[in-house]
Amino acid sequence: MADVPSDIYFASIPELNARVRTREISVEDLVRAFSARLETLGPRYNALALPLSESAHRRAKEVDREIKRGRLRGPLQGIPYGAKDLLAYSGKPTTWGAKPYAGQVFDYTATVIQRLDGESAVIVGKLAMVELAGGGGYRYPSASLTGPGLNPWDRTRWSGGSSSGSGAAVAAGLVPFALGSETSGSILTPAAFCGVTGLRPTYGLVSRHGAMALSWTLDKIGPLARSAEDCGLVLQVIAGHDGRDPGSAGKSFYYTPQYARKMKDVRVGYAPIDFSEWADASAQPAFQGAMRVMKETGVQLVETKLPDFPYGPTISTIISTEGSAVFEPLIASGQVNQLADRKQIAGLKTGLGIPAKDYLKAMRIRRLMQEEMRNLFAQVDVLLTPSRLGPAPKIDQPLDRGRAGTPPKETGLAAMIPAGNLAGLPALSLPCGFADNLPVGIQLVGAPFSENTLIAVGKEFQARTDWHKRHPTGL
Amino acid sequence: MKITRRRLAASALASAAALAQNPPSNPAENEEELLKAALEQMRTNGETLSKFPVPMATEPAFHFKP
Repeated sequence: MADVPSDIYFASIPELNARVRTREISVEDLVRAFSARLETLGPRYNALALPLSESAHRRAKEVDREIKRGRLRGPLQGIPYGAKDLLAYSGKPTTWGAKPYAGQVFDYTATVIQRLDGESAVIVGKLAMVELAGGGGYRYPSASLTGPGLNPWDRTRWSGGSSSGSGAAVAAGLVPFALGSETSGSILTPAAFCGVTGLRPTYGLVSRHGAMALSWTLDKIGPLARSAEDCGLVLQVIAGHDGRDPGSAGKSFYYTPQYARKMKDVRVGYAPIDFSEWADASAQPAFQGAMRVMKETGVQLVETKLPDFPYGPTISTIISTEGSAVFEPLIASGQVNQLADRKQIAGLKTGLGIPAKDYLKAMRIRRLMQEEMRNLFAQVDVLLTPSRLGPAPKIDQPLDRGRAGTPPKETGLAAMIPAGNLAGLPALSLPCGFADNLPVGIQLVGAPFSENTLIAVGKEFQARTDWHKRHPTGL
Repeated sequence: MKITRRRLAASALASAAALAQNPPSNPAENEEELLKAALEQMRTNGETLSKFPVPMATEPAFHFKP
């Protein structure tokens, strides 16, 4: 096998694809290099759930034969990737990050993985996650079969969750892109904490067939990658109707940068207080710098705020009710006590007792939220706010300590994560600088099925910055 | 780079070593207190939701299709 140049590990998808198409690097060499890197370095960050090097090498050879015969596919041809370990891969363990499911094996493969295989992307491993995607509510980063996700920028810090391995693997250049999932924050959080780009698609755009369910009305699968464009290229492959997913929206996604709106025509809603009083003091300079870059893109900046709703109690009630219902057999059998996080165990158990009237009230309030968000998106095209208010916390600190001091009176867009998820909206997290030498990110949120607009604004931001090109030193 | 069994074994050991270096930092927590706190949170959420006015005609954000 030929040596591969070391600059491949942080290259974009188009850069890698160009090199395999011209046969500068064989897919076999590319896949071997990333597989070896994932297996060697993945455990350093507790990012690897399962290496798939044997099948990856076989597939890589097939893809090389394809390319040699001139059978060229799309931009993901030959590109290695990792998948969050809630996605089924036939014949191999799919653990859901949880001890009770450590030996679970399915005889089918998740639709998203099948679609990527159809475009000759090559899966090289399953990536670690917070147990059961954290649905019961977890207190510590150690809430995982594989231990706490460690941040490649600083291993005393959390990589974020619940797609912890996906964020870390992309940040450390172990895979060019990864699949994650989000119920409420699980793509945006690791993307922000690990300094990579993450895309949460509109609810229903990407099939969840073959994915662990946590919350039927909130779960979404999406990519983490090195850039907004890379996320768009992956979304184009994984999106689309799937009759096997009852929540499928029946819509496709075509990445169309050639039809991107002019930035001067894009109205971006923001709340100044998000970037000042809400944000951690250490992160404020980075966020304010991001705002200056946004202004330079030429978008119209419009001050706004979220409509007034009880976002936290609403999303908490829905996730607890649906999540506990999904895992009722686990709870009834007592195997729930094998989970790593005691708060999560308690949350799952009590979730079974949420009255139907509370769940239905939450879902009715959610209907009102959707209507108000539609009204908001009549005034703006995109909402802009920090993805998380500060950098990654330390791995031994509880995650539910809450905010120090009195919260600001003005709510701004601070509740964007629950609000965006409750309304099924797409979001794109972009690295925007550092706080205490750790990455921080901003999120762009759009109306349903407006991913092309988000990616266009994200691309413009990334054309003017290089945060997305940075990576931890020594890797 | 050839993947040898030695390298794979080293990876597995590295994984175990990483876990050992970063043991779950979940100090002894009282299960009863955690359950009580979870029930209290559930109750508080329910109370907050019950106070939020919703027009009678508002349907839940899901619908059944035959």
